[in-house]
Amino acid sequence: MMIPVRCFTCGNVIGEHWEEFKARAREGDEDPGEVLDDLGVDRHCCRRMMVSHRDLVDVVSPYQ
Amino acid sequence: MSDADFDVQYIERDDRSARVLIRGLTPAFANGIRRAMIADVPTFSIDTVRFVENSSVMFDEMIGLRLGLVPLTTPLDEFEVGDEVTLALDVEGPATAYSGDIETSEPMVEPADDNVPIIELKEGQRIELEADAVLDTGKEHAKHQGGVSVGYRHLQHVTVDGDRGEFDEDETNVLRGVIETEDGDIVPTAAFDHDLSEKYPGKELTVEDVPGAFVFHIETDGSLSVEELLLRAIDTIEERADELHTKVSV
Amino acid sequence: MELRVIEKTEEELRLEIAGEDHTFMNVLKGALLETDDVAAATYDVNPEQSGGQTDPILTVKTESGDPLDAVGTATEAINEKTTALADAVKAA
Repeated sequence: MMIPVRCFTCGNVIGEHWEEFKARAREGDEDPGEVLDDLGVDRHCCRRMMVSHRDLVDVVSPYQ
Repeated sequence: MSDADFDVQYIERDDRSARVLIRGLTPAFANGIRRAMIADVPTFSIDTVRFVENSSVMFDEMIGLRLGLVPLTTPLDEFEVGDEVTLALDVEGPATAYSGDIETSEPMVEPADDNVPIIELKEGQRIELEADAVLDTGKEHAKHQGGVSVGYRHLQHVTVDGDRGEFDEDETNVLRGVIETEDGDIVPTAAFDHDLSEKYPGKELTVEDVPGAFVFHIETDGSLSVEELLLRAIDTIEERADELHTKVSV
Repeated sequence: MELRVIEKTEEELRLEIAGEDHTFMNVLKGALLETDDVAAATYDVNPEQSGGQTDPILTVKTESGDPLDAVGTATEAINEKTTALADAVKAA
């Protein structure tokens, strides 16, 4: 629903990078791998948190 | 054991992450420090949340979990384990509530990162809550861990034995961590793409662990600095040794 | 840290140290093994798979002296080490 605050595996805080990642790699046309390198999200456990995430707030909000 | 002669050298150093080479440690002591950094150095973390209003798309419990995971700065000189600090969050949609919106009653204890999204609020949704952060250790709950992916490797010494045979194939020799060259230079393996055949092409090499030399990789979630975390971990071991000493000598 | 002596003779000691885990026990064992007069030292965090008992039990045997004194000496040695290491970290 919302990006998890921390990486499930190592506990590093990754939530803070989501919006920039989304703007540059999802909505923009930059290479996701390069954006993650740039953001300092180095470990592949943290990287998968970003790559595999989908925001669902817009999907569920009509059903409140 | 009074010949304890330590040598500490920062190989990489940042506010929140560092690589530290420590010489003169026993494996037991190195592991004790590592474990203490993960589980025994306390940090502040939100533990109790009182909701005044929550009309967001997430349940109270989900918000509570997310709040707990936000790292809070922890001045350990001022507080003791069990101390509480009250925080509050009040955001009305349409907006996103960020960790930076959390207000604190104690300026020394505040979110270490301001841009962690807590919950996205739509038109008409509102979140208002009061929370108590408590100082506790990683042993109690992982959200109190100050160290993130703390670990160590042996320092590895690389000796050049001679040239490789002229017609031998140049094999890759992948190594991770930090090496010490024959001249005593300390080189992180990232400098040569973790491949010794890049640094020493066509050479026959011997790689061996340096006894007692450990390269710690320390990262923190922002609640403490790297040096503080390391020093506090050493302190917790010392405290326990002293406690046992007093109890045994009675 | 609650201590409970389980067995104590002239040269042997079995001591339960409640509330501790490998973090400290392994350091302590390492220090004991480097202490003069200690013949053997070990610890067990789950003795005899006894259901529920998870507090570590330290066992120390000495060559001649009181094992409690050996524990005292070992803790002093740990203190010396931690102080030296903390100073080295601060200086780096």
